[in-house]
Amino acid sequence: MSDKKEHKLDPQKWVERYGDYLFSYALGRVNDRGKAEDLVQETFLAALKARQGFRGGSTERTWLTSILKRKIIDTYRKKYSSKESSFGEHEGTVFDGDFYRGEEPFKGHWLEGMGPNSHSFLPEGELEQEELMKFINLCVENLQPQLAAAFIMRMIDEEDSDTICKELNITPSNLWVMLHRARLRMRECLEKKWLS
Amino acid sequence: MAKGPGYRMMVFMSKRMIACDEASFLISLREDRKLNFRRWWQLKMHLLTCHLCRKYAKQIGELNCSMEVYREGCSTESCTHHLSPEAGSHMEKAVSRELNAK
Repeated sequence: MSDKKEHKLDPQKWVERYGDYLFSYALGRVNDRGKAEDLVQETFLAALKARQGFRGGSTERTWLTSILKRKIIDTYRKKYSSKESSFGEHEGTVFDGDFYRGEEPFKGHWLEGMGPNSHSFLPEGELEQEELMKFINLCVENLQPQLAAAFIMRMIDEEDSDTICKELNITPSNLWVMLHRARLRMRECLEKKWLS
Repeated sequence: MAKGPGYRMMVFMSKRMIACDEASFLISLREDRKLNFRRWWQLKMHLLTCHLCRKYAKQIGELNCSMEVYREGCSTESCTHHLSPEAGSHMEKAVSRELNAK
């Protein structure tokens, strides 16, 4: 009857068992091998420190993934608190001068070239999965960090909006605006990538 | 000049017409929450008259599909990336160092 917890967590085997999984998970969200490796290592070390708190309610892998998830969000959060948050300046304004006309006539209409050009940005026929993965990674990386954080949580991790607002410490209306801006940019970026 | 119901209807409509900036915001918003009737109607009316925003709405749908493919792809084996052996052994060392320190 020696310490039940030790049977559930087996830190010696973590790297072997979950290393690749966690690495792939991180790489899909930060798109940089070095950064992804650092995040996985930090996750293991943080998990070691916190293992007393592991209640066995989830599997080892789920538990480690949830720690990694927080680390990834933290990196985006750090990026945007260290820089002057450009979101703050526009708070309250939904609309983005990069995309729409600011003056009459046709105020609020798409700026030349900023609206959709092609009818569809998906290539004909079967989706080239590998290429799509690459493009999505590149485009997410191009987003401002705070937009990337919101977009990843909503569209990749499929979190609900309450969770995202709490994590990023923003109001729901901030979130809607951020997601709108992220989608504007993702659409534009993906269209350019497929057309080139 | 007589201002009949047609005229009043036009004024009513034009006051409530939205431009592409608002329309594209609503196209995004409806992905995340239900639009109220007023907004739904405004968007509907805008899309009737604006081919660019119709394209935009279609592409936002495609973005959703792409993200779905992305999410599924990343949970299958084919998209598994492997830690380099150096990084792996580096991590193993770090973990056992931490374990022994206790």
